[in-house]
Amino acid sequence: MAVQTAELKPSVPSSPLTGFWREFRKNRMGVVGLVMLVLIVIVAIFAPALAPYDPETSEGITSRDIYNPPSTDHWFGTDDAGKDVLSSFIYGSRVSLIVGFFAAFISIVIGGVIGIVAGYYGGRLENILMRFTDTMLVIPDLPLIVVIVALTKPSLLNIIFVIGLLGWTTTARVVRSQTLAVKSRKFVLRARAIGAGTRHIILHHILPLVLPLLVVNAILVISLAILNESTLSFLGLGDPTATSWGQMLNFAFGRGAMSAGAWWALVVPGFGIVWVVLGLTLLGHGLEQILNPRLESHHLMPGRPTVQTEAVDVTGKRSDVPVLLDVRNLSIHYVGDGQVAKAVHNVSFQLHEGELLGLVGESGCGKTTLMMALMRLLPAAGQIASGSIRFGGWDLATLKEDEMAEIRWKGISIIFQGAMNALNPVRTVGDQIAEAINKHMPGLPHGVVNARVLELLDLVGIAAEHKDHYPHQYSGGMRQRAMIAMALSCDPQVVIADEPTTALDVMIQAQILELLDDLRKKLGLAIIFVTHDLGVVAEMCDSVLVMYGGMTAEYASVDSIYNAPRHPYTQELLKAFPDLSKPEKRLTSIPGYPPKLNALPDGCRFAPRCPLAFERCVTEMPRLHELNGGHIVGCHLVEEKS
Amino acid sequence: MKRYRYLLKKVSWSAFTILFVLILNFFLFRVLPGDPVKAGTHDPRFKKENQEAMRVRFGLDKPVINCFETLNPIKVGDCWINPFETQFFIYIRNLVQGELGISYHTNGPVADILVERLWNTLLLIGAGQILSIIVGILFGLFAAWKARTVIDYSALITGLVTWSLPTFWLGIILLFWGSGHGFPIGGRITPGTSSYPLSYQIADIAKHMVLPTLTYTIVYMGEYLLVMRSSLMDVLSEDYILTAKAKGLSTFQILKDHALKNAMLPIVTIIAINLGFTVAGAIQIEAVFSWPGLGGAVYEALERRDYPVLQGVFLLIAVSVVIANLIADLMYSYLDPRVQTE
Repeated sequence: MAVQTAELKPSVPSSPLTGFWREFRKNRMGVVGLVMLVLIVIVAIFAPALAPYDPETSEGITSRDIYNPPSTDHWFGTDDAGKDVLSSFIYGSRVSLIVGFFAAFISIVIGGVIGIVAGYYGGRLENILMRFTDTMLVIPDLPLIVVIVALTKPSLLNIIFVIGLLGWTTTARVVRSQTLAVKSRKFVLRARAIGAGTRHIILHHILPLVLPLLVVNAILVISLAILNESTLSFLGLGDPTATSWGQMLNFAFGRGAMSAGAWWALVVPGFGIVWVVLGLTLLGHGLEQILNPRLESHHLMPGRPTVQTEAVDVTGKRSDVPVLLDVRNLSIHYVGDGQVAKAVHNVSFQLHEGELLGLVGESGCGKTTLMMALMRLLPAAGQIASGSIRFGGWDLATLKEDEMAEIRWKGISIIFQGAMNALNPVRTVGDQIAEAINKHMPGLPHGVVNARVLELLDLVGIAAEHKDHYPHQYSGGMRQRAMIAMALSCDPQVVIADEPTTALDVMIQAQILELLDDLRKKLGLAIIFVTHDLGVVAEMCDSVLVMYGGMTAEYASVDSIYNAPRHPYTQELLKAFPDLSKPEKRLTSIPGYPPKLNALPDGCRFAPRCPLAFERCVTEMPRLHELNGGHIVGCHLVEEKS
Repeated sequence: MKRYRYLLKKVSWSAFTILFVLILNFFLFRVLPGDPVKAGTHDPRFKKENQEAMRVRFGLDKPVINCFETLNPIKVGDCWINPFETQFFIYIRNLVQGELGISYHTNGPVADILVERLWNTLLLIGAGQILSIIVGILFGLFAAWKARTVIDYSALITGLVTWSLPTFWLGIILLFWGSGHGFPIGGRITPGTSSYPLSYQIADIAKHMVLPTLTYTIVYMGEYLLVMRSSLMDVLSEDYILTAKAKGLSTFQILKDHALKNAMLPIVTIIAINLGFTVAGAIQIEAVFSWPGLGGAVYEALERRDYPVLQGVFLLIAVSVVIANLIADLMYSYLDPRVQTE
């Protein structure tokens, strides 16, 4: 069901570090965080040069210097001892950074070792280590740190060790799960198979892959260590010989800055803590986004508005049966990162009452995109760039969202490929079917809806007792059948079956296909059947639309497609498909891959793989030719021959 | 049946963790160099007899556990002593009887001091936690729904900034601001109003709670916001959301009936994991606002070197967090039908 928008991404550059830097530069949050950190590190290193006064000495300070407001002499005022706040602030950065980095270093080494050992060796050792980690994770760390530091001497070294020795739990968990994931990769298994030592494998194969996550985690650990240090100092447990931001706040808060109105003594040190922690947080967030890129889009984001165009009629009439769904010149683009990917280009077809249309093509040729567009379920980057979708007097391409909601399921419903995740895991199957009925036939009494749900489940061969079960209690085949029951729940006129049988075993596949065909005959549905399986198409379909690279390759009745295919792609597809009536036939596959959506050839999209391609194919995109009986072919050869 | 096994596993796990906390707590206060009597012995005015009397008073004359020489403050001769006469056993026995030791400062039972303060802390944590969860979840929900818009980015930045604020500092700033705007400068009630009518007292407590609760909400809202946002982003890109949309449900129906429950699952876990941090926050807030809770008790005990109180608070907090974790786990199993059969 996922529509391939990932193809829009440019290919990864050669060197990992330059590539990383190029990615990182684009990440505004990460860059801002890095700049903030670099600045404060510079301040810490050059503290003696930058600080206007020496915070260690109290020479020349009189009682009149206490809590003086900011002035040209003291930019950030003076504190309870009459010292320059700016100078203490500058020196305070040293304590925060030292404690943060060294404590985090201890945590990361401990957590890293525990995580790698647990993940790599597994078994009982892992069990014990992770149990211990979980226990330590539950125990609140600040109260424990407070207690230990209070009982020992509050020196900088003690604080570093206590914070470091208690802060490793998240690291251990992150590293363990990453090690587990990496351990079973091919090259690690291969290294083990050729007898590489444990040390070698961990250092050369596992560590490099764990490292990126470890860095992101380290940033979090550093910021927590800095926050913990400042809290300790604020509570009066800081090293009395080292000025830190937390301690400045402790003195100011405990020694009357509040009543003296000396806001500068309260605001400035806290600002330092926020600066460092925010810098780290932004950097961590930025790195995380690069290491773990998520598609920042979801199904409820508003799509791009349809581009309205005049449809041109290119297809002739093939049947006298009324047309239910009339798709004309439909083009669909994915727009993102300044690029446009033409996923579907100028596709037209008609679906008649009771017709079963097969939609065939390799993966990534725009089948699913086309079907999603019919229901206006394209992802946020998708856009109907031209064409119309006529259904029951409406043009679905331009229909308003709330009107479209009425058409969905009642007019056109869809059976998604891989119903594994298409059902909500926390609601019962019966409830999810009833929901659709309640939505489109409001006001039905509960008993009637319930009876209808049971009837539908019975129709697809699911026993009544499974109605109140959750999807995870169903088998894969049952889930797919439940999905079909759900798709039929509002008596739709058109059902789209998007590869409804992939990922199921052959027996179940056959059952489900038979079921769909039966239902079509019984209920008079029109079905669009999206598939790779030419055998199924031959057996069930009335007409076939073959797509390649987002375009119509050939569109004709099932007889014409099988007995007189005109497009080389159709011919090649048929050669790749076993025919029981000609067992001596040699199966061949088509070399190469379908074109990338962001690198489409100028001419015919199939030309690079076409055995019959000639010059014109490379330079000129073929137009659709109509042969007798509504047989549509998008190939120059048809012209050349006639 | 599977459900009971799940419950049993979780309960026994929590029991094990509590036992670990008890042992850790016991040894922390005996192994570390901060022996209260030793601390006092540096004072020349502290007579030898008084030291001994103090040791007896606080049970420190007995062997710690068995025959670890280094752990025994006073050598009792034979190694094979009666285990019921050890400090460890007495410690456990006292705990079972609800005794947490005797405060050096007030000379009264620590348990009595803490029980009263526990309620004050629960009041503050309860109010702050509920508010931050509600605000965080609402903002997170809105941010995820309006992903990649100005609303989303501002919510994200707000979340990251509030996450970075040191709790105690935000408290100080709010207190500084509030004291100039008619808010009480700390405590739980205005002194001398204990004979006033109940409605007045409730309003008084509420007024004292405004700033601490606000601090709490701002600091913790950020994380709930970020978690809710990313959780909802994940849920909203799931296939079943597309199914719900294909069924013709409105955005509101999809959010309410399909997304919220699934997205809330990680929040429950985060609430549980966060309880430790929550307590850390409460300690800081109570220290700033002189709120008479457990955190305030820590602050005061630190100033007075009142170790039994510190020990009692640590124990109480650790055990509460473990139990709260257990409750969250059990809640999770009710929310997610998949847990029961795993």
